[in-house]
Amino acid sequence: MNPLGEKYLRKNFLPFIFCPGCGDGMIIQAFLEAVDDLGIIDDLALAAGIGCSAWIPVYIHADVLKVLHGRAIPAAIGLKATRPSRKVVVFTGDGDGLAIGGNHLLHAARRNIDITVVVVNNQIYAMTGGQVAPSTQVGSRTQTTPYGNLEKPIDGCKVAIAAGATMVSRWSTAHPKALSGAFKKAMNHKGFSFVEVISQCPVQTGRYILGSGVPQFNLQWIKDHCVPIKDLSQMGEVEAQGKIPVGDFLRVEKPEFMEEVQRMNQRVQEERAKGGER
Amino acid sequence: MKAAERIEIDRRYCKGCMLCQYVCKYEVFEPGQERSALDYLMPRPAKVEKCRVCRLCETHCPDMALVVVARGKGKEKE
Repeated sequence: MNPLGEKYLRKNFLPFIFCPGCGDGMIIQAFLEAVDDLGIIDDLALAAGIGCSAWIPVYIHADVLKVLHGRAIPAAIGLKATRPSRKVVVFTGDGDGLAIGGNHLLHAARRNIDITVVVVNNQIYAMTGGQVAPSTQVGSRTQTTPYGNLEKPIDGCKVAIAAGATMVSRWSTAHPKALSGAFKKAMNHKGFSFVEVISQCPVQTGRYILGSGVPQFNLQWIKDHCVPIKDLSQMGEVEAQGKIPVGDFLRVEKPEFMEEVQRMNQRVQEERAKGGER
Repeated sequence: MKAAERIEIDRRYCKGCMLCQYVCKYEVFEPGQERSALDYLMPRPAKVEKCRVCRLCETHCPDMALVVVARGKGKEKE
């Protein structure tokens, strides 16, 4: 077994529940590499909702909170509020994080609270049998859209930027080193960081949308379609059509929510000490 | 030049997705006949001498079952 796995995984839970060729295991490995480099396993708290990708933290030997469908971000905010020294990371899927828990994502980003949200995007509701998700491409045939999907897909990164996230990245399972680097930057960043990971799902996305359930085909699809922003800017309009830009989109510094809360507490206490009541 | 001593595939966890064979640029792996504990046909590191320890297979293994052991040079061996 991989030495990172020996060090950080719960051995009695193995093997992974994921299907053969699923990208979630690669994301665990990239995440553990970042955790190992930063040496923060003892300060780590993980939260997850429901879905394939919400199984990711369950295997990691850290504090884990598994909550209702889509409600991982409020739980993570609670974890952060009770002990601000803790590094809190949320693992969520595209259905869990962008549809059912979409509202929580907006408001956590707006507050700029220091948590990291990892959205694993496999373009479908995979665990429940392949229904259409908010990130499914137009025209895709799924279990609930047998004649093709009419809805335009949501862009998680653009939503996060618009809502006020201070660090936004998107990488894919075909870029494991860059993904690990993005996790590292996100956990070091002070403020709300959002990392979207384009992942392969051979069993649902592969079979129903892309036309092949072979893991190699699915990984090649990701390699062909996920283009770094630098290369994308040099492409023509026709060539760039249907491509998914990957890279680090945004990194800005803004006042962090818990620090602001602490500052306010201090200010109010000082005011009270000076002037009695109120 | 870097070389691998051996490539270990954990037969408790391998699910035979063959992504290691797919990402390998040096054609080290081939489909094997041995079955893992989960009853999948495992890949076989047939040509370990071709390996240049880029560890692409290791980082792409979805079940974290694969380890490339580099040929030790002094300190690394300890």
